[in-house]
Amino acid sequence: MEQRPQALARAVEGDADSFSRLIEPLLDPAYRLAAVMLADRSAAEDAVQEASIKAWRRLKQLRGDATSLRPWFLSIVANECRMYRRTRWWNVIKLAEVRAPETEARESHTDLHRALLRLSPDECMPLVLHFYLDLPLDEVAKALGVSASAAKSRIYRAAKRLRGDLTMEEVF
Amino acid sequence: MSPNEDFRRELNNVFDEVTGSPSPALRDRVRSAITEAPAERSTYWIAAVAACLITALIVGILYVNNPFRRPVPVGPGPTPSPIVSPSPEVSPTPSLPPFICSADTVQPGQQSHPPTAYISGVRHAQQVGYDRLVIDFSNGTSEKGVELIPQTGTSFDGAPSGQPTVTKGTNGIKVIIRDADMHTSYDGSRDIVTGYATLVEIKQIEDFEATVALGLGVNGPACYRAFYLTGPDRFVIDVQAAS
Repeated sequence: MEQRPQALARAVEGDADSFSRLIEPLLDPAYRLAAVMLADRSAAEDAVQEASIKAWRRLKQLRGDATSLRPWFLSIVANECRMYRRTRWWNVIKLAEVRAPETEARESHTDLHRALLRLSPDECMPLVLHFYLDLPLDEVAKALGVSASAAKSRIYRAAKRLRGDLTMEEVF
Repeated sequence: MSPNEDFRRELNNVFDEVTGSPSPALRDRVRSAITEAPAERSTYWIAAVAACLITALIVGILYVNNPFRRPVPVGPGPTPSPIVSPSPEVSPTPSLPPFICSADTVQPGQQSHPPTAYISGVRHAQQVGYDRLVIDFSNGTSEKGVELIPQTGTSFDGAPSGQPTVTKGTNGIKVIIRDADMHTSYDGSRDIVTGYATLVEIKQIEDFEATVALGLGVNGPACYRAFYLTGPDRFVIDVQAAS
């Protein structure tokens, strides 16, 4: 099997197949991030597809080695989600329509779920990266485009909004 | 189970509930989208080139129309010269005469001329390759034209007092406007130090018996080009910068 650095080098040279192979393992985490940020599964798949194309076009801008690919790609996905929400303003209506009945209908929703629905997409992002996708702190920081200590504090702040009595030790 | 693990497990359950799983077709969608993407790369390249060309075109139009290079209406002289509207660039500039370094009298056009032309403003501006002086008239230009006399040094004779008028600079251009006055419509400075590299000072030598003389203090050779513009009536002197 082709090694990741070699595949990356070939992709940078314009080999679409190599890039597709590199990106494939990242599609699932990318989709999960987008699905939380957009709260719309179909839109999340669209966002991942668009982000993949953008990543392919901007691959030469990737700094670092193959290990930087995941946070870099996830940051593109997050940007795509933000753009999707900004440009498709009617999604706000759509989300409101979808979310409200869902939350009312499903009485099994926990307090945590209800608290999560109150977070903005940008507040959700560090939680998804850290807890759900299990990224190490330095990768979370790269994906957020901030320092490691800033990433840590964003994770903690968002987690505190979900459960007010959490301590730093319980989060990390 | 530690509180951390408990929180993480509960949170991940919520995330699972929100996201579900991606459709099996996502991988193929992405792969085919990437395969088709390179063609669009050239579109972006073309768009970038088009954007550059449009920018160059706009800059060119702005440069030709010259909207940013209006003369500074107020010089740093002892008192400011009055601002007279509009700037010399309002009417299209005719094909400009060449720079010369000898005496010349520039005649106005064939329009009617007042018995005495009233100077209403003296303005100056710095341009690439020359410094510009603009003399505004409020009631039309003098029929007798404007005489320009380059000279070595900056001591100008001809003041009614008999004393020479001295300006800054190394050389000078004496500007004589006959059938004109500089006190009916003009209340600006009669000694303007521009701070420019070439045209360093504009000083009134005389304003007596319908003759106005100005001394231009110049750094470098006293070479110039001069011409009239209309709408409003004004006389322009471009002093050539030393190369």
